[in-house]
Amino acid sequence: MNSDRVIRKEEMEGKLSRAAKKLTSSPIQELSHLAQRCNAINLAEGFPDFPAPIHIKNAAVSAINSDFNQYRHVQGICQHLAKMVKEMHGLDIDPLTDVAISCGQTEAFAASIFATIDPGDEVILFDPSYETYQGCVTMAGGVPIHVPLDPPLWSLDPSKLLRSITERTKAIILNSPHNPTGKVFTKDELETIAGACCSRNCLAITDEVYEHITYDNQKHISLATFPGMQERTIITSSLSKTFSVTGWRVGWAIAPASIASAIRNIHIIVTDSAPAPFQEAALTALRSPPEYFETLRREYQSKRDYTIKLLAGVGFKIQFIPQGSFFLFAELPDDCPLSDVEFVKKLILKAGVVAVPGQGFFHTNLSSDEVSNASCNYQKRYIRFAFCKSEATLSAVSEKLGKLLDTEGRLALH
Amino acid sequence: MRVYNTTCCTHSLFRFMPSSKLLGYSNSNNFHSVISPSFSKTKTKTPKFSSFISATMSTVSTDKNQTHTHPLQVAKRLEKFKTTIFTQMSMLAIKHGAINLGQGFPNFDGPDFVKEAAIQAIRDGNNQYARGYGVPDLNIAIAERFKKDTGLVVDPEKEITVTSGCTEAIAATVLGLINPGDEVIVFAPFYDSYEATLSMSGANVKGITLRPPDFALPIQELKSTISKNTRAILLNTPHNPTGKMFTREELNTIASLCIENDVLVFSDEVYDKLAFDMEHISIASLPGMFERTVTMNSLGKTFSLTGWKIGWAIAPPHLTWGVRQAHAFLTFATSNPMQWAAAVALRAPDSYYTELKRDYIEKRAILVEGLKAVGFKVFPSTGTYFVVVDHTPFGHENDVAFCEYLVKEVGVVAIPTSVFYLNPEDGKNLVRFTFCKDEGTLRAAVERMKEKLRK
Repeated sequence: MNSDRVIRKEEMEGKLSRAAKKLTSSPIQELSHLAQRCNAINLAEGFPDFPAPIHIKNAAVSAINSDFNQYRHVQGICQHLAKMVKEMHGLDIDPLTDVAISCGQTEAFAASIFATIDPGDEVILFDPSYETYQGCVTMAGGVPIHVPLDPPLWSLDPSKLLRSITERTKAIILNSPHNPTGKVFTKDELETIAGACCSRNCLAITDEVYEHITYDNQKHISLATFPGMQERTIITSSLSKTFSVTGWRVGWAIAPASIASAIRNIHIIVTDSAPAPFQEAALTALRSPPEYFETLRREYQSKRDYTIKLLAGVGFKIQFIPQGSFFLFAELPDDCPLSDVEFVKKLILKAGVVAVPGQGFFHTNLSSDEVSNASCNYQKRYIRFAFCKSEATLSAVSEKLGKLLDTEGRLALH
Repeated sequence: MRVYNTTCCTHSLFRFMPSSKLLGYSNSNNFHSVISPSFSKTKTKTPKFSSFISATMSTVSTDKNQTHTHPLQVAKRLEKFKTTIFTQMSMLAIKHGAINLGQGFPNFDGPDFVKEAAIQAIRDGNNQYARGYGVPDLNIAIAERFKKDTGLVVDPEKEITVTSGCTEAIAATVLGLINPGDEVIVFAPFYDSYEATLSMSGANVKGITLRPPDFALPIQELKSTISKNTRAILLNTPHNPTGKMFTREELNTIASLCIENDVLVFSDEVYDKLAFDMEHISIASLPGMFERTVTMNSLGKTFSLTGWKIGWAIAPPHLTWGVRQAHAFLTFATSNPMQWAAAVALRAPDSYYTELKRDYIEKRAILVEGLKAVGFKVFPSTGTYFVVVDHTPFGHENDVAFCEYLVKEVGVVAIPTSVFYLNPEDGKNLVRFTFCKDEGTLRAAVERMKEKLRK
C-alpha cells in the first residue's frame, strides 16, 4: 500500500458511522479464530458439531428440487407457529397478522429493535447478556441499561429492576432460557418483569431461541403469558437451536398485529425474504412429533450432566446448574490467579480446548449504583462452555484435560 | 452524546398511553390503509397480507392532553412507510387471473448445477453458522469473479462481506456508514427500498431525477446538488426500473465529482450480468474510486435463485469494517449451504453467462416488439430485465389508473413507476414491465394486450 493510500485510508476511516465506530468485533469470533489456528476443540461457539436431523435436511433438499427457490413468504410457517404457541403457552395468535418471518432470530431481534426503539429510548437488559443485544440497541440509537442478575444463582432482584426503569424506558429485553448462564427465569421473576412492564408501560422483547432446551422437567414459560403482557410483548425465536440448523437463517417475531407489521416492514428493507427452501423445510421441522423434542431435551441433558461432572471434577466451581440452553457458566476456582481471558488463552494453547471468557457478557453501565468496582470482580471469573457437541467431542475434551491434572486431580495450566 | 438529525425526530419522545388505551392499537379500525403511490414493492413474491403500517400511525399528536390518541408503539423511523400499491395490485392480479409482468423475479428456476451444489452442501453437513462475513471459499470465488469482471484485485478476507442478498448489503452499507443527518444523493426512479433504508439511517436524501427518453445523467443538476456536505451517492447500474446503463462518460463525471468533494459511492450492480447493449462498468474500477466505493451484488438475478438470499459487498477495508459491524447485528451470518453453492455458481464457465444474456435478449425482443405493436411508447432498455414504457397513448389519468385498468380489463400486471420517485408526479406517465418470465408467458401477455388494450 503506497503512502497516498495510507493517508486516504485514515481519512476514509473517518467516514465510518458513529454507530459502527462504537461497536467492537465479537470477542467470541476472535477467540474462535485463535482456536482454529491452534486446532482447538470448540466449546465456545454455540452450535452443534453433530448433524442436523435427517428429516429436515431431506425437506430442504426436496424444496430445492421442487423449485421453491424464488422470493417467498411461506404462510404455513405462521400457521404452525400459531399452533405451537397455543399448545406450549396457551396463547392465541392470528397467523395472518401476528407473525413476521426473518433471517434467523438475529434479524427478528434487529427488526424488532428498529421497529420500536427511537434514538434516546432506554432499553433494559439483564446482565450478563448475549453481546448482540446491546450492539443492536446502540445501532438503533437506543440507550442500553443493564440490570445485573445476582451471582451465584443469577437471581433477579426486583428492586434493581424497578430502580432502573425511567420515563425513557421503552422496552425490556428478556432472554430465557438464558445465554450465557443457562438460567430459566422463574415464575416469580417473570411476574416481577411483567408487573414492571405493565405498570411502567414498557414493551418486552424476548429471545426464546432455547425454548425447547430445558432440563429437569423445567418448562419454559413465555413472558407473554402473564396478564397484560401479550399485547406488549414481541417474541423472537428461530429454527436454529431447536433443529440444529444454525446456518439456515429462518426465524420469526410474534407480536400484536401492528407491531408485527412494523417488524415485517423493517425485515423487507433489511433482507426482503428469508431463504426460500429453508422456509419450506421449516414446515417439516415445525411439524416434528413430540418425541423429537423429548429426545432433544434428553440428549442435551445428558451432555449437560457429563460436562458438569467433567468440569467440576477438575476444579471448576459450579454453583448454578443450567436449567436450559446448552451453556454452562463455570466459575474459576477461588485460588486461580488468572482472569477468565488469561485462563481461556492457556486453555487453548495448553489443552487445545476453547471456551468463552465470561467478561464479554458483562457490561459496565450497570444501573445499580450499589455496584462497586470490587464487587464487579466476579465478572472476570466465569467461563462459558457450550455442550452442544457430540459425545466424541466431549470425551475428547475429557481426555485433553485429563493430561493436565495436578496431583490433586485439578486442572493445572501453568 | 450523539446529535440526532431533527428531520428524523421532530416530535418530542412520545410515550405510549396507559394500558387501557394500549389495546386500541391492535384494533384494525384505528388504521386505514393509505394508498399512496410513493412506495411499492418492486421485487415481490406471492401476495402478502395487507398489513403494512399506515402513515397515520406516525402522526399521532404529541399533545399530552389528548389521551384518546392511539399509542405510538412504533419507532419514528417508520414514518416513511406507506401502504404499498403492490399489495393491491397483487390481489387484483389473482382476482382477475392476470399475467404478472410486474414482479421482478423469474417464473423459471435456477440451473441444476447450482441447486445440486446446495443439496450436496446440506448433505455434507454445512448447516451450522457460516463465518459471519462469508464462507471462505465464497469470498475467494467472489474475488475471482470481480477480478474477471473489473480487473480489480481484492482481498477476500478484508474486502468482501457476504450478506443475505443485495438487499442486506445495501442495508448494512447504509447503516454502517451513514450517520443521521448525512446527505445522500439517489437517482430517481430508484428501487423502492433505497428510500426506506436511508430513512432508517436518518439520512438527508437528495434526489436527482433521470428523465426519458434515455434517462441520461443530468450533469448540471448533479454538479449543483453535490457538495462537500454530501456523504454518499447511491448508484444503481444497470438500473431498475428503466434498464438504463450508466455510460463510461457518466461514470467518469460522477467519479470526478466524488473525488473532488470527497463523497462515497454505494453501487448496486445486481443486474451486471444482464447487460445487453453495452459493457457493464463498475465505478470502483475508475481511477481513485476503489477506496471510496462499496460495490454490491448478488446471486439471485444472475442465477434465477432470488429466494436464496446470497449477496455481497466489496469495499476497501476501512469501509468494509462499517459494513461488517452493521451486518453482524442485522443477520450475523448468511445461509451456509447456499454460500457453498454460490461459490460453485460464480465459477460457472463463460458459456453460462453468454447463454443467460442470449436468452434474456430474446425475451426482451418478444416483449418490446409486442409492447410497440400494441401502441406503447417504449424506452430503450440496455440492461436488467425491466423495460419502462409511456402509457399515455391509452388515455388514462396516471400510471396507477393505467395499471389498474391493465389488470382488470386486459389481464396483465405492470408496475406504476410513480412509486419509484421521490416526487410521484415525475413517474405518472410511465409503467414498468418485466421480461424475466418464460417465453410462453411473455407471448401470452402480449397477445392479451393486442386483443384487449384499447386507445
